[in-house]
Amino acid sequence: MTIQPAGTSLAVDIQQVGKRFKRHTDRRNSIKERLVRGRARKPEDFWAVRDVTLQIPKGSVYGLIGHNGSGKSTLLKMIGGIYRPTEGSITTDGRVAALIELGAGFHPDMTGRENINLNGSILGLPRKDIQAVTEEIIEFSGLGDFINDPVKHYSSGMYVRLGFSVAVHMKPDVLVVDEVLAVGDEEFQRKCFDHLYALRRSGRTIIVVSHGLGQLEALCDEIAWLEHGEVQTAGPPTETIAAYLKRVNSDEAARNPQIEAVRGDDGDPRAGDQSIRVRSAKIVDLDGQPIGHAETGATFQISLEITAREPVLGPNVRIALQHESGPLVTMVSNHRVGTDFGTLEGDRTITVALTDNPLLPGRYRVHVDVFDFSGSKLLDSWNDAVEFPVRSQSGEIGQGFVQLPVEFRLT
Amino acid sequence: MLTDLYTRRALIFAFANRDFATRYRSSILGWSWSLIQPLATLIIFAAVFSLVFRIKAPELGNGEGSSYAAFLFTGLVTWNLFSGLLTLSMTQLKSSGELLKKVQFPAWAPVLGASIVQMIQVLLELGVLVIMFLYLRNISWTWILALPILVGMALFAQGVGLILSIINARFGDVMYIVAVALGALYFLTPVLYPISMVDGHNELLTWVVKLNPVSWYVEGMHDAMYSLVAPPALVVIGLLVGGFLTFWAGFSIFNRWSEDIGELL
Repeated sequence: MTIQPAGTSLAVDIQQVGKRFKRHTDRRNSIKERLVRGRARKPEDFWAVRDVTLQIPKGSVYGLIGHNGSGKSTLLKMIGGIYRPTEGSITTDGRVAALIELGAGFHPDMTGRENINLNGSILGLPRKDIQAVTEEIIEFSGLGDFINDPVKHYSSGMYVRLGFSVAVHMKPDVLVVDEVLAVGDEEFQRKCFDHLYALRRSGRTIIVVSHGLGQLEALCDEIAWLEHGEVQTAGPPTETIAAYLKRVNSDEAARNPQIEAVRGDDGDPRAGDQSIRVRSAKIVDLDGQPIGHAETGATFQISLEITAREPVLGPNVRIALQHESGPLVTMVSNHRVGTDFGTLEGDRTITVALTDNPLLPGRYRVHVDVFDFSGSKLLDSWNDAVEFPVRSQSGEIGQGFVQLPVEFRLT
Repeated sequence: MLTDLYTRRALIFAFANRDFATRYRSSILGWSWSLIQPLATLIIFAAVFSLVFRIKAPELGNGEGSSYAAFLFTGLVTWNLFSGLLTLSMTQLKSSGELLKKVQFPAWAPVLGASIVQMIQVLLELGVLVIMFLYLRNISWTWILALPILVGMALFAQGVGLILSIINARFGDVMYIVAVALGALYFLTPVLYPISMVDGHNELLTWVVKLNPVSWYVEGMHDAMYSLVAPPALVVIGLLVGGFLTFWAGFSIFNRWSEDIGELL
């Protein structure tokens, strides 16, 4: 439970809220079933949300993240008054408008303008208030003359644009938004965000569920992470998202142990005189354990098992990293960084640590070339030795391939 | 209840407007269908029951003979109001399910909205009935009494409709049971025949017809519009108050049972 600083009032106060659903397989939907099977068998229950306590301050943008089925939407529907909590209480201050789906309630045979009226009434706005904002809605949606056409002739983009425009112009005190931020083209999306920011500036509270983590990180003041209906953490966006992604990544690694980036020697003929042969290449963590992916900013290693058939003096091992889209990202070698292996003989393992992995998310291929001490004679050349994905801890994807160590200063 | 209805009137009318605007939108004849349909029923029934079954209508209030068609239509208008509101309430609540899962609003709003449209339909039929009686020169001040009787009928039907619709949301069978029951009730209501015909045939049947509340409303309409006899004031008030009480009960039960409507539908 978070303690609110004095002077900040709450828009939504969620206290130990739980929601239990009966399993639908057991629902007696017909009288016959009721009569035949009676009430005796207890239907299986499950808790979609359990013991959730959140306090959402007025004028904030609050995000909810979590897997599909983690209870986010159920919680939203309870805030929006569509579901009643089975236990606990939700106190809201002011009018709540829940946007579970854009354009819910649009009638296909009615024109856009008629639907603005209908949708506005359903969202609970008095008629004269709707009329006051109708032109604004039409302007915002950018539909122009199409507003007088039946919405069944609209493209899906036009449909959601109108839906979004209606919803955000209803001026609710609390706007609850479920997964509807990614609507329209780039230009319209920007308009949506500008509008959401404007709503926030005017002191309204916005609660958002989204899987667009980057979007949420930029938009939200606070984020709660739900898992199996319970709050895992709640707090500053960056930290919550990082904790969530860490779980997602580790879950993925646990589920798919076979996708570890490990590649053994397939025995194909390679260029070079083969006095040294690279037998395997793998992506490992600092303890040498194979991992399925690397993370941006976290040190990982490329581990190469080699066999030197004869003593080789001071070889140069060169590793090239190629992005999946083609460009060569970097080429590193032990000579370049001044590491001398001395004389190699027999089976050895060479590990290359990429400190604070600067690679941005994407897939990367590793090519390995081994030269003699002079760098003029090729001993082994293994193209596409191994391939591995890079994931990010924050929602941000970034542009380009690497993040360089930069510092910004203002003078 | 009344304040609830008043504060959400805009929503009710928005739904009514939607249903009104879209009811016949894709048909060429449009709202003419709302009259073609009952008139076709009237012609068929009038032909079958007066020519084949030779049912005699009672004497018209103006003393100038009788008209089976006018008698039948008086009952039909009342019956259509009752069965229309009942059936529509159930289908309307079901079809609002998707919306009720996404937006929070009172579930009775779309039901009452649809009912308003049905009442407009009945008003059109009533207009035709009035024209019929004007043509027959069967006119009297007692016509005014048709208004409280029809309002009572509408309230009664809506009350029952609200209860049935919320049970139907839980048990989908109710709709089909009601369809069968309405079919039976139709013949247990003096629409096709004057109530005097059941007297002395089968005591049980007579009692069923006379205890059927819809019969009271239909009989009230027969009196006021066809026979031009004013039913006792107490009866008219009773029909109106009874309708209101039924509506109030239906509304309260609906509200209590529709709290989890978002999960039910």
